[in-house]
Amino acid sequence: MRKVWCVAWTEYCNAVRSKAFIIGILALPVIMAVAIGLQIVGAKQRDIRDRKFAMVDRTGEIYTVVAARVRERNARQVFDRGAEGSGPQVRPAFIPERVDAGTRTDAELEPELSARVKRGELAGFIFVGADIFDTGTDAAPRIAWHAQSHTDNELADWLERTIAEEVRRVRFERAGVDRAVVNRLTSVPAMRRLGLGSVDTATGRVVKAKEQNKLATMAVPVGFMVLLYMMVMSAAPGLLNTVLEEKMQKISEVLLSSVSPFQLMLGKLFGSVMLSYTLSVLYLGSTVGMLWKAGMLGLIPPGTFAWFILFQLLSLLMFGAIFSAVGAACSEIKDAQNLMLPVMMLVMLPYFAFLPVVQSPNSPFSVALSLFPPATPMLMLMRIAIPPGPPAWQIALGLVLTTAFTLGCVWAAGKIFRIGLLSQGQAPSLAKLAKWVVSK
Amino acid sequence: MIAPTEPAAGRALAVRLTNVTKTFGAHTAVDDVSLEVPAGSIYGFIGPNGSGKTTTLRMILHILHPDRGDVEVLGERSTRAASDRIGYLPEERGLYKKMSVRRVLGYYAALKGMNTRDTRNATAFWLAKMGLEKWADKKVETLSKGMAQKIQFVSAVIAKPRLLILDEPFSGLDPVNLEVLRAAMLDQRQQGTTVIFSTHDMAMAEQLCDAIFMIYKGRKVLDGTLASIQERFGVDTIRVRTTGGVDALKGLDGVQLVRDLGQSQEVRCAGDPQELLKSLAARTRVQLFEVAKPSLHDIFIRIAAPAAEEGKRA
Repeated sequence: MRKVWCVAWTEYCNAVRSKAFIIGILALPVIMAVAIGLQIVGAKQRDIRDRKFAMVDRTGEIYTVVAARVRERNARQVFDRGAEGSGPQVRPAFIPERVDAGTRTDAELEPELSARVKRGELAGFIFVGADIFDTGTDAAPRIAWHAQSHTDNELADWLERTIAEEVRRVRFERAGVDRAVVNRLTSVPAMRRLGLGSVDTATGRVVKAKEQNKLATMAVPVGFMVLLYMMVMSAAPGLLNTVLEEKMQKISEVLLSSVSPFQLMLGKLFGSVMLSYTLSVLYLGSTVGMLWKAGMLGLIPPGTFAWFILFQLLSLLMFGAIFSAVGAACSEIKDAQNLMLPVMMLVMLPYFAFLPVVQSPNSPFSVALSLFPPATPMLMLMRIAIPPGPPAWQIALGLVLTTAFTLGCVWAAGKIFRIGLLSQGQAPSLAKLAKWVVSK
Repeated sequence: MIAPTEPAAGRALAVRLTNVTKTFGAHTAVDDVSLEVPAGSIYGFIGPNGSGKTTTLRMILHILHPDRGDVEVLGERSTRAASDRIGYLPEERGLYKKMSVRRVLGYYAALKGMNTRDTRNATAFWLAKMGLEKWADKKVETLSKGMAQKIQFVSAVIAKPRLLILDEPFSGLDPVNLEVLRAAMLDQRQQGTTVIFSTHDMAMAEQLCDAIFMIYKGRKVLDGTLASIQERFGVDTIRVRTTGGVDALKGLDGVQLVRDLGQSQEVRCAGDPQELLKSLAARTRVQLFEVAKPSLHDIFIRIAAPAAEEGKRA
């Protein structure tokens, strides 16, 4: 065990002293900060050039209303008035233009207006059909917005909202219904989402159910799964690289003169577990700190952290052993990448399947998938983080299956590691790897 | 622990291989090899590339396990129990490029069970001995090839091994560094360490080794002291230097093989050397005529290379 510890400690020290680790620690917060910063800066860097648009109004009424609304909008929303009332422009001004269609149809007007858009004279043009106020007809009333690009939808969305509002107003008026009354009658109180009430056994007092934060109750389980995935991915694939590098640089041979292949692999696995736990302490610690400061720590079901640590250990040993074996079996990084593909599919399986699991954590699909050992650590953890959590027997079964599978992986990887580490030349096929596993 | 086996001569054995065979697929790398390496000796392993030297060394190190036969090292049979008492320098050097010299040596020493204080002292001692004190905290990747080779050697001896296995320790070294390593190796033997080293440098093997083991196509073909090996091959070698050079030897009776060394020639003679001298003197001016035992180089070539390729018949 002394030698295993010696290998583990050296692996750990090599990893935490590397630039990759420092960059890795800083990467997530830096990426998040950059992403948020870009959003903020990007929002201020919007295109505020005037948006001129043409309207072909077959009703004869809509254009007037839209033009009036445009004036109101331009007066109130285009400039950031601020305290002194003369701030910078923050939004584009809309400039409407009525098209006198005469007897021409929309189809006849379309090429001419399209050409103006292409020349940059217009941002787009809109056809408003004469029948848009009609109700009870199956044919959809015609309102059509034409533009060269449909990525900037501010103008189109505004027009759609404004015209829809006017259409509703006219329809209520024609039907002789007071809209204010309708609004009053159709408004209903919002439903509160609560947890379950209970009785305090010590005092006998009723403990009222707490308000549920839907976003937080979704975010916590998904957040735990993503964090576990990150912890696995930040430590286990590194094993492949170090094993392969040691093999290519003939360091393995020196090490094997002092330790057995299994001791060497186990030391490397423990080193990666230590590395991953270091990262967990940093990430999880800062997350807990932020939640505690925001008074939201109670959103995390008790015991979830303990499950996280346990599942982190299992998944690191499981995937770490597989990655080590792949590294030992190959002599070139290119060969390793080919063998990595099926392994990566296994690692990413929970990622592909997490949405249906988080939406229906107790469905047969969720139960079955969370009992599939390679997916158990991430998916069972996610289910545990969703109150009330899975039944105890499912957690126990998942643990037993995953532990057995992990031990199997470590054993098989040890066999591959032993033979692969001294083998040279072409990477073995999966069939050959299987042969190594069953060899004496 | 099993006590080191006493050989017939009464001297303890460091290594004993008994009918060892190792195959890789259809290829037999080592075929029924038996060997006894006395404790405290320098044992040279020679053989052409791919003959099974490294496989044999790896079996002694228990990196590989034989398919058949027994491997006994420092009294331990077929286990890794002796690994802490064995130092190993592989043919292709294996050092962590990104680690400092001190950390690499510390790691390798710790794997051999050395404590921190002893490691610190031994590191300082060996770096001073090798003239590399200033490089202790430099990364291995900054070392020259010669320096790296010396560090690799230090990593093999830092934990005071009882058995030192050196696979091609002198390859690629300049004469100065070669001399440093050679002296360090002899020091180890002086302190009672058994040294097994493989080499392609026959002159070095002749100079350093108490005994020589040659493996060819997986089979043992030579094993013993240089004198006993030379004895086996007889006194049929004549070193000649004439003004006529190699051409003067053409067509002479009794000349089996001529190896042209440039300034002189080495002749394998089947007949009477005196008759050969007479014939040669009749043709050219003889500057040197020495009847000698065959060199290890010559013996190696006699075993490992077809005569047509390595020499030319007279």
